[in-house]
Amino acid sequence: MSDPPTQRNGITPQMRGRYPDYNVLDEADRWDEVTRRLVLDRVQNVPPIRFFTAPEALTLGLFCELVVAQHSDPKVPVLNMIDAKLFRGELDGFRYVDMPDDRETWRRVALGLDASARGSGAVDFVSAPFGVQERIVDAFAQGDLRGEVWDELPPARAWKVVTRAILSAFYSHPWAWNEIGFGGPAYPRGYARIGAGQRESWEPRAADSERPEAAT
Amino acid sequence: MSRAHELRTLLRGAVRPPDNDSAFLLDVHRRAVPRERMARYDDDYPADLVIVGAGAGGGTLAQRLARRGWKVVVLESGPFWDPDEDWVSDEAGSHRLYWTEERIIGGSDPVELGKNNCGHGVGGSMVHYAGYCPRFHPSDFEVRTRDGVGEDWPISYEDLKPHYERLELELPVAGDYWPWGDPHRYPHTAHPIAGGADVARGGARKLGIEMRVGPVGITNGAFGNRPHCIYRGFCLQGCKVNAKASPLVTHIPDAIEHGAEIRSGCMAMDVEIDESSGRVTGVHYMTDGRERFQRADAVAVAGYSIETPRLLLNSISRRFPHGLANDNDQVGRYVMVQGAPQVAGRFPDEMRMYKAPPPEISSEQFYETEERRGFARGFSIQTVGPLPIEHAQHVLGHGHWGHALREYMRDYNHWYTLGILSELLPLADNRVTVVPAVTDRNGIPVARIDYSQCENDRKNIAYAKQTLHNIFEAAGAQDILATDRYAHLVGGCRMGSDPDRSVVDSDHRAWQVPNLFITDGSVMPTQGSANPALTIMALASRLAERLDRGRAGASAARQPRHRQRPPRPAPTRAGAG
Repeated sequence: MSDPPTQRNGITPQMRGRYPDYNVLDEADRWDEVTRRLVLDRVQNVPPIRFFTAPEALTLGLFCELVVAQHSDPKVPVLNMIDAKLFRGELDGFRYVDMPDDRETWRRVALGLDASARGSGAVDFVSAPFGVQERIVDAFAQGDLRGEVWDELPPARAWKVVTRAILSAFYSHPWAWNEIGFGGPAYPRGYARIGAGQRESWEPRAADSERPEAAT
Repeated sequence: MSRAHELRTLLRGAVRPPDNDSAFLLDVHRRAVPRERMARYDDDYPADLVIVGAGAGGGTLAQRLARRGWKVVVLESGPFWDPDEDWVSDEAGSHRLYWTEERIIGGSDPVELGKNNCGHGVGGSMVHYAGYCPRFHPSDFEVRTRDGVGEDWPISYEDLKPHYERLELELPVAGDYWPWGDPHRYPHTAHPIAGGADVARGGARKLGIEMRVGPVGITNGAFGNRPHCIYRGFCLQGCKVNAKASPLVTHIPDAIEHGAEIRSGCMAMDVEIDESSGRVTGVHYMTDGRERFQRADAVAVAGYSIETPRLLLNSISRRFPHGLANDNDQVGRYVMVQGAPQVAGRFPDEMRMYKAPPPEISSEQFYETEERRGFARGFSIQTVGPLPIEHAQHVLGHGHWGHALREYMRDYNHWYTLGILSELLPLADNRVTVVPAVTDRNGIPVARIDYSQCENDRKNIAYAKQTLHNIFEAAGAQDILATDRYAHLVGGCRMGSDPDRSVVDSDHRAWQVPNLFITDGSVMPTQGSANPALTIMALASRLAERLDRGRAGASAARQPRHRQRPPRPAPTRAGAG
C-alpha cells in the first residue's frame, strides 16, 4: 500500500489526504453564520477532559486512536469531543435492555480493555505491545472479548456504542473533511454541478483519479 | 396528447392549494414561521380540541380544524424551530433535532432509535426525514385478504385518495409520472438527479428494474415564499432553505393564521379522564418545570408510535388501571419498522453523494407479493446519499476499522448508496411498554420497545439486499458494501374494525373513550414499503373532515360553535419565543 500524498494546504489528520490542495476552512466565509460558529469552534476550542478520570482518558484516548488509526500528529481530538458530549449528558435516545447508560458503557469499556490486556500478559492496555492492543481492538470489533467486564457488558453492543461516538467525532472535524474531499457546509451556497464527475470550482480535485490500493 | 393533459402540464407548479396558505404566510426574508399574531388561550379555557404533538399528524389536523373554526391548542414537547438560528448545515451539529430522551430497546432484533426515526419539536420527524412522499398502494389496505398476512385496514385506499391529492399540492410533491399502485402524476416536475442516481438507474434498467425520479416533498421552483431547493444535500439535518416540506412550513403557518395555538416546550404527562362520564377532560403537561392542565372538549394524541402508547399507558385511572383505552391490552402492540438495509457501490467516476438531496429516485416494482420470491409482500428501492459520518458507520459496520476504515473513507467521493424499505409484518409482541423503574426528568416512566423479526421479514430483507447488489453490479460498481438497518416507525395503537384487536375505530376514536382520538402513524395496521409521512398527513386530513362533519360521532367532539375566526389577541412579548 502506497501512502496517500502529504497535505499542502490546510490540515488533515496525520497530514495525509487525497486532496492535497483542499482546505475546507478556506470556504468558511461562504457558510451561514450559525454553522460557521459551530464548525470553527470545533476546530479552535478543544474541550478539556471533564467526564473521564485521568486513567480512563489515557486508556480510551489510545483506544480511539487505534479505531481511526491516528498514530501521529496532527490528531483530531476525538476523546475530548466525546468527553464533552458525555459531560453535557448528550445521549442518543436509546439504550439496549442488556446495556447500561452510554456513559457507564464507556467507563466499563476502559476497564474491559485493561482486563483483556492483562489476559494477554500485559500490565494494562496502554502499556501492552502494539500488536496486543491491535488484537484486542480487533477482537472487540468481532464481539469476541470474554471474561470479567465483558461477561456483564456484551462486547458487540458496546463496540457499537463507542464507535458511533468515535466516528461521529472524527468525521465531523474539518481536518477529516479535507482528507476525504467532502464539501462541508453548503448553505446558503448550494450546488449547481451535481452530475457524475462534475465539481464546483471550489470543490476539491483529487491527487489521483483512480482509487489507491485497498488497505487489507 | 389530450388537451386536459397539455393544460395540466402547462399549469404544473402554478396551482395554488385551495385551502392552505402556509407557503404564502411565510416571511420572504427569514425562514422562521411568523408567530407575532398567534392566539394564546388560557389553560382554563376549554379548547375544542387539544392535540399532543405538532408533527405530520398533529400539525395537519390542527391546520384543517383551525380553518373550520375550531379552537385548537397543540402541545409540543420540543422547540418551535427557527431554521435560520437553530439548524446548521452540519451532520454532527444536528443532534438537537432528534428525540434523545432515554428509551430502552429489546427483543431479538432491537431497533435503534434517536436520529434514525424520532423527531422532536414543531414539524416532528418530518423536520429530518429525507423527503420521500410516496402514497400507499391500494393493496396495503387489504393485505390480510390478499396475502394472508398482517391485517386489513378498516378503511380503503379510496378513502385516502382525495387527501393524498390535496396534500401533494400542499407540500408540494415533485416527481415523474408514477406508474405503481394507483397510477398518478405530481404537481411539481421531477428534480434533476445527481451522477450516482443516474448510474444506479442505468444499472437497474439493465436488469429490467424501473426507477423513477421522486416522489419528494421538495419544491421544484419557488412555491409561495418558499424558495427552490439548492441541492446542498443536508435534508436530514433540517432544511434551512424551507424548500423541503414539513408541517412547520406546510401546515403550521396556516393553522396559526386561523387561530390555533402551537404551545412548544410542553411535555404531556397524562390525559385526564372524568370517571363518571368516561370522557377525557384535558391534558396535564410540564412546561418550564411547572405542571399545568389544558382543559378541552376532546383530545387528539399525535405523539407517534412510541410517545403515543407511552402517554396512554402512563395515564392511569380507576377506570383504566392498565392505561387509557387499554382494557383489551392492545395499546403499544403491533409496532412496525421497515427493514432498511443500505448497499453502497464504488465507481471509477466521482459521485460525491453529499450533493443533491438524499432522496432522488425510487422504484416500487417489488412492492406487492410475488410468489416466486418466496415471501409475502415486498419492498421499495430508494437513494440515501449518506454524509461522511453515516458513510463511515456503513464502512465500519462492514468490519473495517483503523487504517482500512481511513482508506475506505478517503475514497468517499467515489461511492454511491441505495437503500431498501422492506415491509416487515405487524406482530403482537413487537410492542411499546413502560418501565416504572426508569423515569425521565419529570418522573414519568420511560418507554421500552421490543422488536423481533419473523421468518418472512428475514427473507424479504435478504432478497431486497441481493437486488441492490445486482443493480450495482449491473451498473459497473468495482466494490460493494452492504449494511443492515431499520427505518421509520408506525403502529402501536392500530385502527381496526374489531374492538378487541385494535385501539381506535376507523375514525381514529378510541373504542373505550368517546372523545379521545389518535392521529399519527401509530394507527396504521400495516406499513407497506412506502415512507409513512404522506399517509400520516392524509389520515389526519381525513379525520379532520369527518370530525368537522360530525360523522366521527355526534357526541365526540363538540360541534363547532363559531364559524368566524377567533378574535386575534394583541401580540405579547412572550410571543417571540
